[in-house]
Amino acid sequence: MKLLDRNGLKPDPWVRSEEIVPTEALLVPVAALDAALAARHDGQRIGAALPNTYRPADLAPVQDRLELVAIDFPKFSDGRGFSIAKGLREQGYRGTLRASGALIPDQFAFALHVGFDEIELSDARAERQPVAQWLHALTLIHDSYQDGADGAVSILKRRRLAAGAGA
Amino acid sequence: MYRYDEFDAAVVRDRVAQFREQVQRRLDGSLTEEEFTPLRLMNGLYLQLHAYMLRIAVPYGTLVSRQLRQLAMIADKYDRGYGHFTTRQNLQLNWPKLAEVPDLLDDLADVEMHCIQTSGNCIRNVTADHFAGVAADEVEDPRPTAELIRQWSTLHPEFSFLPRKFKIAVTGAARDRAAVAVHDIGLRLVRNDDGEIGYKVLVGGGLGRTPMIGKIIRDFLPKDELLAYLEAIMRVYNLEGRRDNKYKARIKILVHEIGTDAFIARVEAEYAKLDGASVNADPAELARIAAYFAPPEYESLPAVSEGFEAAKARDPDFARFAATNLFPHKVPGYTAITVSVKPIGAPPGDATSDQMRALADLAELYSADELRITHVQNVVLPHVKLDDVHALWSALVEAGLETPNAGLITDIIACPGMDYCKLATARSIPIAQAIATRFADAERQALIGELGIKISGCINACGHHHVGAIGILGLDKAGVENYQITLGGDPGEQASLGQRLGPGIDAEAVPEAIERIVDTYLDVRAGAAETFIETVRRVGLDPFKPALQPREAQLEAA
Amino acid sequence: MSANALLGGEVVYYAAGGRWSPHLADAFVARTEAEAESLEAARAAAEAQGAVVEPELAPVGTDAGGRLVPSHYREKIRALGPTVRTDLGPQAAGENAHVSL
Repeated sequence: MKLLDRNGLKPDPWVRSEEIVPTEALLVPVAALDAALAARHDGQRIGAALPNTYRPADLAPVQDRLELVAIDFPKFSDGRGFSIAKGLREQGYRGTLRASGALIPDQFAFALHVGFDEIELSDARAERQPVAQWLHALTLIHDSYQDGADGAVSILKRRRLAAGAGA
Repeated sequence: MYRYDEFDAAVVRDRVAQFREQVQRRLDGSLTEEEFTPLRLMNGLYLQLHAYMLRIAVPYGTLVSRQLRQLAMIADKYDRGYGHFTTRQNLQLNWPKLAEVPDLLDDLADVEMHCIQTSGNCIRNVTADHFAGVAADEVEDPRPTAELIRQWSTLHPEFSFLPRKFKIAVTGAARDRAAVAVHDIGLRLVRNDDGEIGYKVLVGGGLGRTPMIGKIIRDFLPKDELLAYLEAIMRVYNLEGRRDNKYKARIKILVHEIGTDAFIARVEAEYAKLDGASVNADPAELARIAAYFAPPEYESLPAVSEGFEAAKARDPDFARFAATNLFPHKVPGYTAITVSVKPIGAPPGDATSDQMRALADLAELYSADELRITHVQNVVLPHVKLDDVHALWSALVEAGLETPNAGLITDIIACPGMDYCKLATARSIPIAQAIATRFADAERQALIGELGIKISGCINACGHHHVGAIGILGLDKAGVENYQITLGGDPGEQASLGQRLGPGIDAEAVPEAIERIVDTYLDVRAGAAETFIETVRRVGLDPFKPALQPREAQLEAA
Repeated sequence: MSANALLGGEVVYYAAGGRWSPHLADAFVARTEAEAESLEAARAAAEAQGAVVEPELAPVGTDAGGRLVPSHYREKIRALGPTVRTDLGPQAAGENAHVSL
């Protein structure tokens, strides 16, 4: 598996496991989350892996205790993960958000705009669509009509700011 | 007419550059066909029976002459010299080559046009009343709203991979000429008791294999809250719309399955959580957009034009055109002209590049440079002085665009059908041609009056047959084209879905069946002022059922 | 098996030897169970490989002159071009004149 963010490839300290293991950073399926939090040792980072059918509101009670939430994309054409990410950010989740699975570089900018920090890809995918393509994809559309969690300011707002500055 | 600022222009150019690279990556294998398909669909590029098809966006159907001239040039340069106006106010080209599409898109960008999101599981072209800005019954011009929605929905990071396509329509008038009740979201501009303007919001209308009329989910949404409310609706749909079955994936199915009240509750819950301030447009932004749709400088003219009246008196052909193809303009001395793109016996909605150039010239000369494409596949010149109508009509005659049939029985909507489309189960254009030819006589058409025939070549209903006063659906019955007729559909503010008249019939039998349906109408109508749809509503389907039986059976029964 | 060419979009037919031809007359016809299976396998491979778009199988017969004629009206229209524009598609060049609806 490869992990990348807007700066490129990076090492992945997180261990995905269905079982509670004492690794420094443990990413468990959300069904095992309560157990993982209960068993958490000092200094251990806990993350939750969500299916893309998950309701963000259900994570609210424990979101402040999580350092990573990973949302699965079973098919790149299934865009539910984008709304789940948006919902999590809106309800105040501040940790790392990871999109994992079948995404394509053309979705990278969208993922960052809705609040994802990183993308996890299979080796096969990363082979076919190298990191350079992913990073290049971010340079193609310069402005967006929507605000982004990554700091993108909507064109609609930028017009108002420009109009204000000119006034 | 909206003009791009540097932001709008950059988005369109960037998307072209992005698409150019996507084509490259498809060719070099880094994108599979499965990955490339939604990317090309999101840029309007379909695959049809004979070739690719490119759907060019005409936002809320509005064009200026420079744009139409460019479309004509593009049709000549990249295609076979003609284009097809669609039931969502767009233009389709039937023979583009994939390798040439990026250059074609650059030529479009030169005139502030694009193909962004004209297909794919995303928010599509926002359509509006084709008489926007000129209709007397208008509360407010719907096009600034449509333009705002266009921008907000363009390359939206959260809503580009929806369960299915998403169609929004806006109307600003009491008469709904945008069919908002059969859209995923329909918006009606309304005035509340305090005189403020806001939106009545309908959700879950649609045609296709499970046609439904939209449900009102908000009686009055303040204008400033529009985008945030739309986001709430879209989020509920994105999260909960079905993804297991493509035929059950539209929002209308979700609303139907959970019930309107439950749907409203979910939308309101999302709406409450959303950061409205971040999403909603500043009222100053809507005002900036609205300024582009300010009316042209109208002259102060008398309501009656002597020249126009005299021309009608001396030329019966012109008088006929004036009786059918003119729409009352809110400004005295003006009219909005419907140019019919339904010449008798020709494919409905197809225009040659020469005809497009002729229309562009006429728009520039007589209509403050503006044209509209209607969802009935015709063209409107919205700002014409009555004094100029005769000269304009003479030019239409030269261009073969003078057919005096707006709203009449030969003003037929037809999808491309199996002559072009891979999804089709039968042909639709030859049926339209045969019916139009059968009813070509102008006096007979005038006698029959307003009658909307809509023909779809498959159950996806792109010809809007469900909302045709007479609807025709073409199917495949054991390897033979077979046509089902429905009666009583209406797309407007009294929206209704047509009901099946009886079993399907062969192609050859269709014109005769329509003839008999019309004869029945003429027999039972309560006077010439009762339109076909009104008669059907009054008497029901039973009087019309014998029309489907072969004549021999009728004679036997008599 | 017919498909659309990737770059130009025109209709192409799967011919013996695994090449693609714009001519219906060149189309490989599966006449036995085994041939049908291998044609289906070729379809799946073509779809995965991506050199053509949307490969599909369609039934054909032959006419009195031994020429291939698609069995269903959809493939007939594909072989000719739009029936409402006889100046467009393969029919414009006189191709497949023996096919009629």
